[in-house]
Amino acid sequence: MIFKRSVPSRKAGRKIKFRDRYLPTIISVSSVLAFFWLIRSVVVRAEQWPRIKAQFFDLDTIIFVFPKVLHGFGINMSVWSVSLVVIAIWALLLAIFRSLQGPWFAPLRVFSIIYIDLLRGLPALLLVLLFGFGIPALQIPGLPNNSLFWGAVAMVASYSAYAAEVYRSGIEAVHDGQRAAAKALGLSQIQTLRFAILPQAIRNVVPSLLNLTVALQKDVALLSVLGIRDAVREAQIHTARTFNYSSLIAAALLFLVATIPLARFTDYITKKDQERRLQKTT
Amino acid sequence: MIRKALVLLVICSLYAVSAIAADGTNNPNLYQPGKLTVATGEPVYPPWMMDDNPAGGVGFENGLIYALAQKLGFKKEDVVWVRQTFDQGIAPGKKPYDFNIQQYSVTETRRKFVGFSMVYYKPEKAVVALPKNDISKAKTFKDLRKVRWGATIGTADLDYIENTIGKKDVAVYNDQVSTFQALLSKQIDATVISLPTALFVTAVQVPQATIAAVLPHDSNDLGHGLVFEKDSPLIEWIDKGLKAIIADGVVADLTAKYLIGNKSIPEISR
Repeated sequence: MIFKRSVPSRKAGRKIKFRDRYLPTIISVSSVLAFFWLIRSVVVRAEQWPRIKAQFFDLDTIIFVFPKVLHGFGINMSVWSVSLVVIAIWALLLAIFRSLQGPWFAPLRVFSIIYIDLLRGLPALLLVLLFGFGIPALQIPGLPNNSLFWGAVAMVASYSAYAAEVYRSGIEAVHDGQRAAAKALGLSQIQTLRFAILPQAIRNVVPSLLNLTVALQKDVALLSVLGIRDAVREAQIHTARTFNYSSLIAAALLFLVATIPLARFTDYITKKDQERRLQKTT
Repeated sequence: MIRKALVLLVICSLYAVSAIAADGTNNPNLYQPGKLTVATGEPVYPPWMMDDNPAGGVGFENGLIYALAQKLGFKKEDVVWVRQTFDQGIAPGKKPYDFNIQQYSVTETRRKFVGFSMVYYKPEKAVVALPKNDISKAKTFKDLRKVRWGATIGTADLDYIENTIGKKDVAVYNDQVSTFQALLSKQIDATVISLPTALFVTAVQVPQATIAAVLPHDSNDLGHGLVFEKDSPLIEWIDKGLKAIIADGVVADLTAKYLIGNKSIPEISR
């Protein structure tokens, strides 16, 4: 797919030449190879390379810490999948609050605006620290003081502010005529949203939401500051114990295994979406 | 004949002078010859250094550095402090200082990537918990394993909980402040920390917490040492100075002044 070239249109009575058919592929492949070979030779020739290699890319260490890091990665994945569902719903509610019209809905609109302004304006790490250490310290009876719970709440709070804005952009991108048409059919405001606006809005923003999903997958690692032994923390523990950074590479590999397929899937959805918009048929 | 001998003498003495100079305060291997550049953490914790002010000279570790510098022939103002995180101290590459002091524990696995000085202090460990906790009734390691533990990353305390006490799934925090915050929020029940730190923390910073017990030494933790770049040519020279101030009783005095506390705390050793 990366090496895909535009196929020259076959003109009547003319054969495709070798140059047209294979040369672009050859140039792509060889230039990519040359580029990475150049980087590799610069890195490997560096004076410190043997030391870096031993401290960062030691295979024995990577294998040794892998089970622990994998166990931590399980925590990453479970926090990620649970908060993903909560974010998808909560952010949609926020976006709906904000798009409601009429004086009765003013409190909801104001709440939504303040919420998004505040939580989108604060670094996620700060929220994790405030929620994870601050709320349990209040010792309010009935509230859990589990750091994993509050860490996940902080991620939901932060990411739903972003996701709400994405939803809102989708809602606003739906042409006003749609709203007018729904009204003309006698649909109420809620019915208009439910049947006319949201189906189009959500379809518009799926690629952007998937993008946030990838970001969330990595940001779950922020919860490690609360003492939660996720993949990054397990790797850091080993690094701090032995001064060997190779364990971080083990964690990095796991994250890549999880995020790259998701990124490709996002690409695929985006492309589909574009084709749909351009009314292309294949 | 006499002339030859004189020339020889001059050459010899020059050689001797240069040898002394190379080992003295103008050692060319120093980061800044003529200065002793020492790295430490940010913040630095009492009683190792007081008031987050290494240059104040009040505290165990900065007291030790100033005594060492004097022994090696540096003036007080020739000691330059730089602040580095724990991770900067162990990352590969050239360092903007001569050595790093922030209670780094000397272990054999770490020796693969950094150079250590001789051990200058070997702390005892203490269990810190909130009072009226199950911990206060604990008599054995088995009792200790029943509660939730937390520790600070990179410390020998974490290894102690996992290997000596035998408790897994310890919560691991970024720094000492977070660990104690988690203790206060009741997210963990207890932590292990070196006894001098425990004495200070429970007396001044977190008076709600108490020292529940002291623990025996961990055989894998050789004690605190200065951290150098791997194979640093300075280690031998600095070690000589350290040995001298330990022999002079300076380290014992500093220990007595900053690190010794009440001996009436119960010990749990099995």
